Amino acid sequence: MLDEEAAAVAARTEPSLTRTRLLQSAVVGGGAVIAGGVLLGGLPALASAARSPEQDVRILNLVLLLEELEAAFYGDAEDRGLLRGELAEFARIVGDHERAHVAFVRKALGDKAEAKPRFDFGNTTSDPDRFASTAAMLEDTGIAAYNGQAVNLTKPVLKAAATIVSVEARHAAWIRDIVGQPAAPDATDAPATERQVQASVAKTGFVKAGG
Amino acid sequence: MTLPLPADLELTAVEVTLDELDRDGALREAGSRLPRGRFLGLAAVGAAAFGGLAAPARGVTKGDIAILNYALALEYLQSAFYTETERLAAVRGQAARVARVVGAVERAHVSAFRDLLGRKAIKRPTFDFRGTTEDQQAFLKTAVAFEDLAVAAYKGQAHLIESDAVLAAAVSIHSVEARHAAWARHLFGIRPAASAFDQPKPKAEIDRIVQSTSFVVARPQTRARGGPRFTG
Repeated sequence: MLDEEAAAVAARTEPSLTRTRLLQSAVVGGGAVIAGGVLLGGLPALASAARSPEQDVRILNLVLLLEELEAAFYGDAEDRGLLRGELAEFARIVGDHERAHVAFVRKALGDKAEAKPRFDFGNTTSDPDRFASTAAMLEDTGIAAYNGQAVNLTKPVLKAAATIVSVEARHAAWIRDIVGQPAAPDATDAPATERQVQASVAKTGFVKAGG
Repeated sequence: MTLPLPADLELTAVEVTLDELDRDGALREAGSRLPRGRFLGLAAVGAAAFGGLAAPARGVTKGDIAILNYALALEYLQSAFYTETERLAAVRGQAARVARVVGAVERAHVSAFRDLLGRKAIKRPTFDFRGTTEDQQAFLKTAVAFEDLAVAAYKGQAHLIESDAVLAAAVSIHSVEARHAAWARHLFGIRPAASAFDQPKPKAEIDRIVQSTSFVVARPQTRARGGPRFTG
């Protein structure tokens, strides 16, 4: 019975997870060669201009958008109060983390931080299945974004970003395990370029103004 | 650069690490959820995957080679642990799945680093996991400690890596170790993400913790020439 339930949940969440995976495999030109793509093939597309504080600002604003999106998503889920059990616990704890990330990145950016956009999450914060699949997709996207920008950040910012990305990875594995999806489906987490992250965010339709 | 030889048989720092992080207490019943879906499609990872640097470590600095060998040492430790667990077949259910799935990934990491380093790769040490590979709870607890340790270790090196190619590879593995950590913690019944920020650990601290486990019982010579090869 529980197995059937898990299977059903997995089936319903698959489209979003697939979307993330498509995003990732697009980066390296084929899902099967992820490690090689990451190491070399993916690199020319990842490395942009030489590292600089100005570039850091642009990248930090990109991850700020993701962190704002995540924080608002979990906050909205908590406010609506329709999640139960471990999903509710997940929303509460992960929401705390994402709010801490927002505060951290905002502080790092100072007056260079962009304004917080307005969001509309539809029923993804009230329907448990849609919540879980969206959370997994957002966390996977966060990992790909941070991983993609590692080579573009100055060393002090890279050091700080590294303390965040693995927490996003923990979130991704946690929510995936809750709904019976593979927690760590690949040997490496493929990176995404800035443009791919922006496209991924746009595709959610969650950002209503700003960003 | 390599895993240290054991110096003592004191209680493992692995447990200290765990106790520090175990705020949630009781074990959770996790057996009812049976994650399905595909297993790992890892065939392409390894030799072919790092083919672009086929001439081993060409253009990679000495410092990066040391870091790669450090990563390889940790991957050796992890892969041997999961492989032995799977072979002994004493752990059950989801823990057995962790051993199988994570083991395949860690073995892929080992071959990737070995391919990348070529002749500069350190050799595989000999391990004695002291019963942790044949006991359900000891296995999960050690898996949690290993994965959390790997996350902290990679994180401690990222900013020291000089080559962009090596950095990109390291970060792509770093987050996978974090996924493993969260998965193992979830099964063990502790919070998968203990705080909003994961802190790095410097190499000296990682070495000390690994050493305190006494899991590494022999370390082969790094260089091809030198003393006789250890075969134990």
